[in-house]
Amino acid sequence: MDHLKNILEALIFISVEPLTLDKMKEVLDDVSEEDILQALFRLGTEMEESPRAIRLVQTGGGWVFMTKSAFDAPVRKLLQIERRKKLSPAALEALSAVAYHQPVTQTDIMAIRGVDSTHSLHTLLENKLIKISGRKDAPGRPLLYKTTEKFLAYFGLNSLEDLPREEELKKILEEGNT
Amino acid sequence: MARREYPNEEGPLEIPCPEGPAYPNEEGPLGEAPGTASLRPEEDGYRIKLDIFEGPLDLLLFLIKKKKIEIQNIPLALITREYLDYLHEREHINLDREAEFLLMAALLIYIKSQILLPREQPIEPDIDPRKERPDRTGDYERVRVVSAVLRDKEEEQSTIWRRTALNAPLPEQDLDLIEVSLFDLAESFFTMMKRKQAAPQKILKTKEISVTDKTKEIVLALQTKGFLDFLEYLDAQETLEEALVAFFCLLELIMARRVRAIQEQLFNTIKVWLRKEPAGEDA
Repeated sequence: MDHLKNILEALIFISVEPLTLDKMKEVLDDVSEEDILQALFRLGTEMEESPRAIRLVQTGGGWVFMTKSAFDAPVRKLLQIERRKKLSPAALEALSAVAYHQPVTQTDIMAIRGVDSTHSLHTLLENKLIKISGRKDAPGRPLLYKTTEKFLAYFGLNSLEDLPREEELKKILEEGNT
Repeated sequence: MARREYPNEEGPLEIPCPEGPAYPNEEGPLGEAPGTASLRPEEDGYRIKLDIFEGPLDLLLFLIKKKKIEIQNIPLALITREYLDYLHEREHINLDREAEFLLMAALLIYIKSQILLPREQPIEPDIDPRKERPDRTGDYERVRVVSAVLRDKEEEQSTIWRRTALNAPLPEQDLDLIEVSLFDLAESFFTMMKRKQAAPQKILKTKEISVTDKTKEIVLALQTKGFLDFLEYLDAQETLEEALVAFFCLLELIMARRVRAIQEQLFNTIKVWLRKEPAGEDA
């Protein structure tokens, strides 16, 4: 079992993009999915508990090693990044609208936000947080937008299921109102 | 977009009576409208005057939504024409008010077109175009909350790093390259187009360029050079037309999977490689 864990560690280490379960199964063709998941879990807890600077993170539909947040400053110094650019409030709103209503047209996003969102959508497309997924079968055949894998990775989400659900949103809204 | 509030059906209806001169060029009040001469069009906005309805447009829209008036009986073309005449005669217009009028008129036209369209089944109540559009403030509230949640996650993510962040220039050709989307290609193309358009051009005679010839040329160039810089190559074309043809050839080649278009993550230029034959997965 430890051997399997070590193999997985090697595979994830060498992968730049999050390594998907499918890819792992492809490499380890005689190992069951259950065993892989179990080994991943053990690897994750082990790394988390160790004083080492790397942790295993499930994000963007796969697994990837990331630095722990305590090491933010030195890492940024190495990368010569002052601070990570953040999305503008407008872009974030447009992105939220896409995330919850996808696939969605620009008109719909405009109707939800009540303001023109052309620029925000353009920014999001440029940053590859959303993509064009086709055209809507409606007058004018408007373009449809949806979120990308990069969107998930950017926010550390494993899948769209990780976004807060209806009930959770309601709760947050109520808390905010009282 | 400001949403117009309409009074509830049950509530007291405070709606202006249809009255007063409908057009600024009309003299005095009409017989049936009592004592309204003081209402000047400037203050009151444009009014509609039809046999079946007289008054402001928002009232008409309201009554249609409440199904008090059948939209089939409202000649929208006539309203539009008279409204345009009215606009032409005005020296000053109040943009806010006219924009609102346009919005309402567009809504009316939409409703009428939907009602007039032949349908196989009768309109279901919940898709009745006369129905008030669903209020999207709820959606917006939700979007605001989600934005806040995502902002927290963004904050959290901004302190942890993964290896992709380290993008040293790559010696190996295939490692760490991403295949580009159509969006990237198009963007590069438009950058190039803009540059080309700006450059002075002297065209003496037009050259006939066929897609087949250009494709051959590109493949040959790829075979000798190994790869092409997408932008550079298009840029080097003599004319805009030739660049266009080259662009389409490249698209064709990518679609036929004879070449791969790849973008190095650090740089924004797109490179095109010939696929090793037989065309298989070589990533």
